[in-house]
Amino acid sequence: MPHDQAPMDLAGATSAELADRAAGLNAAYRNHSAFAVMSRALDDPSVGQVALVSSFGAESVVLLHMLSVMDRRRPVLFLETGMLFAETLDYQRDVADRLGLTDLRVIRPDQGAVAALDLDGTLNARDTDACCALRKVRPLEAALASFDAWITGRKRFQSGTRAALEFFEPDGSRLKINPLACWTPDDVRDYMDNNRLPRHPLVAKGFPSIGCAPCTTAVRPGEDPRAGRWRGKAKEECGIHFVNGRMVRGPAPKTDGTTTEKTVAKDLVTEEDAALAGGPADAAAATHLIARDDGFSAEDWHGPFDALADLGGAPSVAVDVPPDADPATLAARLDEARIIRVDFPSFSDGRGFTIARRLREMGYTGRLRARGVIADQYAMARRSGFDEVEVAADLAARQPEDQWLARARWRAHDYQARLRG
Amino acid sequence: MSRRSFAPKVVTANHLLDGDVVYLSATGEWVRDLARAELIEDEAHAQIRLLDAERQKNVVVGPYLADMAPTGDGPVPTHFREAFRASGPSNRPEHRRAPPAPATPDPIVAPRDTVRQQDRQTEGAL
Amino acid sequence: MYQYDDFDRAFLDERNRQFRHQVERRVDGSLTEDEFRPLRLMNGVYLQLHAYMLRVAIPYGTLRSDQMRALADLAERWDRGYGHFTTRQNIQYNWPRLSDIPDMLDHLATVGLHAIQTSGNTIRNVTADHFAGAAADEIADPRPVAELLRQWSTDHPEFQFLPRKFKIAITGSPNDRAVTRSHDIGLRMIERDGEAGYEVLVGGGLGRTPLIGQVLRAFLPKADLLPYVEAILAAYNAAGRRDNKYKARLKITVLEGGLDAFRAAVEAEFPARRAAFTGVDQQLLADITTFFAPPAFRDADVGLLHTARAVDPVFRAWTDTNLHPHRRADHAIVTISLKAHGATPGDATAEQMRAMADLADEHGYGELRISHEQNVVLPHVPADALPALHRALKAHGLATANVGLASDIIACPGMDYCTLATARSIPVAQAIALALQEREAEVGQLKIKISGCINACGHHHVGHIGILGLDRAGVENYQITLGGDGTERAAVGERTGPGFPADRIVPAIERLIDAYLDLREGADEPFIDTYRRVGMDPFKAALYDHAEDTADAA
Repeated sequence: MPHDQAPMDLAGATSAELADRAAGLNAAYRNHSAFAVMSRALDDPSVGQVALVSSFGAESVVLLHMLSVMDRRRPVLFLETGMLFAETLDYQRDVADRLGLTDLRVIRPDQGAVAALDLDGTLNARDTDACCALRKVRPLEAALASFDAWITGRKRFQSGTRAALEFFEPDGSRLKINPLACWTPDDVRDYMDNNRLPRHPLVAKGFPSIGCAPCTTAVRPGEDPRAGRWRGKAKEECGIHFVNGRMVRGPAPKTDGTTTEKTVAKDLVTEEDAALAGGPADAAAATHLIARDDGFSAEDWHGPFDALADLGGAPSVAVDVPPDADPATLAARLDEARIIRVDFPSFSDGRGFTIARRLREMGYTGRLRARGVIADQYAMARRSGFDEVEVAADLAARQPEDQWLARARWRAHDYQARLRG
Repeated sequence: MSRRSFAPKVVTANHLLDGDVVYLSATGEWVRDLARAELIEDEAHAQIRLLDAERQKNVVVGPYLADMAPTGDGPVPTHFREAFRASGPSNRPEHRRAPPAPATPDPIVAPRDTVRQQDRQTEGAL
Repeated sequence: MYQYDDFDRAFLDERNRQFRHQVERRVDGSLTEDEFRPLRLMNGVYLQLHAYMLRVAIPYGTLRSDQMRALADLAERWDRGYGHFTTRQNIQYNWPRLSDIPDMLDHLATVGLHAIQTSGNTIRNVTADHFAGAAADEIADPRPVAELLRQWSTDHPEFQFLPRKFKIAITGSPNDRAVTRSHDIGLRMIERDGEAGYEVLVGGGLGRTPLIGQVLRAFLPKADLLPYVEAILAAYNAAGRRDNKYKARLKITVLEGGLDAFRAAVEAEFPARRAAFTGVDQQLLADITTFFAPPAFRDADVGLLHTARAVDPVFRAWTDTNLHPHRRADHAIVTISLKAHGATPGDATAEQMRAMADLADEHGYGELRISHEQNVVLPHVPADALPALHRALKAHGLATANVGLASDIIACPGMDYCTLATARSIPVAQAIALALQEREAEVGQLKIKISGCINACGHHHVGHIGILGLDRAGVENYQITLGGDGTERAAVGERTGPGFPADRIVPAIERLIDAYLDLREGADEPFIDTYRRVGMDPFKAALYDHAEDTADAA
C-alpha cells in the first residue's frame, strides 16, 4: 500500500484527541433526542464550526427541516456529482426554497479532474470506486476543509455496517455528527408526516435510497431499502480511505499513529449524499415539459408532490398516486388537492387510465396529470380524465411537440362518448 | 469435458421493413441466405457481433444468436425452429422470399399445398 | 347487415392515418420497437417467424360479399394469393411487408373492414355464433349486441393497455356454438319473466390454465350491458396481475381472488358507470338492430332438394354433413369446408374467396359467415338452390363433405408461421385428414383440435381429441387429450399420458379411432359419448400397448 505522499493538510487534531472528544460527547448526549443533539451541537464549543451535508435524498428533508427551525443561516453543503437524477435537482430547489435556507453551498467535482478521468461520463461503469472518489469524496473533502464537524443523516437501520452508529464519531481530522442515528423508518415517516414535508419524487417510483442516477435502481417491495444502491456490485459502504493522501481501496488499514488516515464514508454521499443542487440556473435544462392540447409548456406547478403512501393522515395539495393505488383511498383528499399526478410505471401498464376515470367519477375537478405515457396515448389520457401529461426531457426529444399535437383533437371520433350520450 | 465448448452461432433477426428472416454476414451485411451468414465460433466475437446487430435498431428487429453446425455448405441449424426459419413453412416453403434452405426429411410426411401464385422474388443482401 | 355510417368511416380513416404515421415514426426512430410493438399489435400487425402477419377482424364472423372480395384483393395484391381463416373469426395474411400494410388497411376501409384490436392487450374482436340470424334454435340474434360491443370497445381509452388480451363472445342460442364458457366474458342472451337480458359468464379461457367460465350475473337487464361490461373491465384493469404474463388473464384474477371478491369489485364499480349512460346506447342498439333484419326470403321448392339427393350420392353425402337447419324450413345453412383432405385447414385462395362471394350473391342473399371452426358459412340458402351451389363449389375445390367429421380439424398455424409455437400443427392436421379420409363417414361426429403450443389457439383443450405440440429436447412431440368439449356441455380434455414423436402421432390417432369403433354401442353413439361412457382406460390401452411408440420408451 503506497505511503509515498504527504498527508493531506486537513486539520490539526490527532485521531486520538478526536476519539476522546467523540466519546465524551456521546456520554453527554446519550439520552438526548435527535433534535437536542443537533441543537446543542450547533453551539457546543467543543464541536466547533459545523456544516450540514445533505444529498437532498429520500430522507434528507428531516435534517434540513430541523436546521431551518434552529438556524436557517447555517451552511448546507450539497454535493452535485453531475450524475444526479433530474428529480433530485428539482427537489433540492423546492426544499431549499420552502425551508428558506440561506447558505446553500453547491459542491461540484473539479472540472479539470473530471476532464482528465471521466470525460465521457462512463467511469461509473468501469470503476465505481474511482467514480465515487472523483465525484464525491474529493470534492467533499475540499469543501469541508474549513469546518470542524459535519452533520449527516446516517441511521443505524440503514445498513448492517451501521448498526453500532453513535451520535458523534471521529472522522479523519473532524467530527461527524449523526443526530438521527437511533431513528427507525417509522420515526422518519412520522416526522415527515407531522411536519408535512415534501417527499422526494423518486420515492414514489420505488427508490427509497437515492444516489447518483447510474448507480441507483428501484427497489422491489420487500427488498432492503438500500438494495437499489450499487445494485449488482459487491459494495455497501464506500470503503474508500485516504492514507497519506492517497486513495486506497479495501478495509481501513491499521494506523501506526504517524500517518493520518481518514475514512470518508460514501454513505455520506449516500442517503444524504445524492446532493445535487445544481443551482437553479443549470438544473432547468434537463427537466420535463408538460403536454396539453396546445402543445408543450414549461412546468408551472412549482410546489412539491407528496407520495400518497407517505402522507398518512396529513393533508396535501399535490399528491403523487402510484399505479397500484385504490382511488377510494383518495376520497377525503379530493377537495383540498389542487393537482394529482398518476404514475405509469411503463407506458404499456394502463392502470392509470382507470385510476383517472375513477377519480373523475368520484368528483375530483382539480388538475389531473399523467406521467409516463407516450404521444400515441395522449388522446386516451385526455378521454380518461387527465388534463395534461408530464413528458420527460428524453421523450420530448424523441417525440417532439408535433407528435403530441397530432393527438390533441381527442374529442373527435369518440365511440364511447357517442354511446353514453 | 471440463467445460462446455462453445456451439457455433450466427446472428439472425427479422428485417424491419419486410419482416424477412435475415442473417449477419462476415462483411456486416444482412442477407436472407443462411449459407452466406457468418459462422461465429468464438464466444466473445459472438457477443460483439450481437452488439453490432443490436445497434441497428432501425434496420432489423429482435437480433439474437442461433446455434448452428458447420458444414461444407455453410451453417446448418441444430434446432428445428431455426430450420423452419431457414427453409420456410413446411406447407408452402416456396412462399419464403429467399430461396429456401434444403429441407430436412419430414417425419410427419405431410403434403404440401400446391403453389397458386408466383413468388415475389427478392434475393441477396438488403 | 351493418353498414358503416359517417361516424364509423371518419373514425376508421383517422385511425388508418395514425397507423401510417406510426409506421413512418418507427422507421425514423421517433418510436422505439418496444413502443411500436403494442401499437402495431392493436392494429393487427404481428412479426412472425418468416414475415409480418396482418390479422383482419371479421366482426362477429359476418361478411358481405363485397367485403369477401376485398379480402381476396388483399391476398392478391399485397400477399401470396391466399388468406388463413382463424379460430377467432379473423383472417390472417402471412406475408405482407410492413410498408404495404397502411395501404392494405386503407383498402379494407373502403368496405368497412379493419384490423383494429385483433391483437394486443386489449378487448379483441367480439365473436358470436356463426349461425346467428339463421339458426332454427335461436332465441335472439346476437349480432346487433356484438356490433354495439364492437363500437363500445373500439379505441376505448381506458382499456387499450390491459394486463393481457381480453375476449368476449356472445350467443343467442341455447346450443352454444360460440364457446362462451371459454372466454373472458361470455354473454348468453336469455329471457326472464318476459324480459330480455343476459347471463354473464366470466373467467373462462384455454391456454396453459384452461378454465370454464363461471356465472357472474345470472340475469343482467338489457340496458345495463355496456356499463356492466365496463365495470368488469375496470375491475380487471386495476386488479389483474402484471408481474407474470401467464397469470395475467381475467381467469387467473378470478381464480386467485375468488369469484365473490371479483363480483364485489364489479358491483362496487357498476353504479358510477351506469350513471354515465343516458340510454342513448339503447337507441343506437335499436338502430343497429334494423340493419340485421332478415333478408327478403323467397319461397323455395324443397322437392327439388329431395330429388337431387336421391339421384346424386355425392350431393347427398355433402348435404348430410354440410347443412344445418335454418329458421325457415325451405332454407338451409350451408357450411363450406376449408378442410379439403391434405390442405391447410382454414386457408382459402383469392380465387376461392371471390367464388364464395359470387355464390353468396347468387344463392345466399349476399351474406357470408366465418366460423371459429375455420370454415365459411352461407347462412341463408334456398333449398332448391343447393344442387347448383354444390356443383359450383365442386368446381372450385370447395365441396368437401366433411363438416363435423374427423378431417374437419381445427389447427393453429403452429411453428410453420408462429413465433410462439413449440411444434408444427398444420402438417399434423394434413396427415391425419388423409389417414382418416376413407373411414371418416363411418366414424361420424368427431372434433380433432391441434395447437402448436400451450397457448392453445387450436383449442385442443376442447377437442374430443386434442393434440398439443411441444418441443421436447429439440424435437417435436405431441401430447394427446381426450374428452374435451366446447359446447354448452363444456369440458376440458384429459391427458392420456406421455406424448408421441412426430412420426408416431398419426398412427396413435388411428389407434384411438380403432378403439372407438370397437367400443361404441352403435353408429349413433359419437366418439365423445363413448368416451364419457367408458372413460379413459380403454383408449389409454389402445394408445400405449405399442409402448415403443411413445417418447418415453425411446
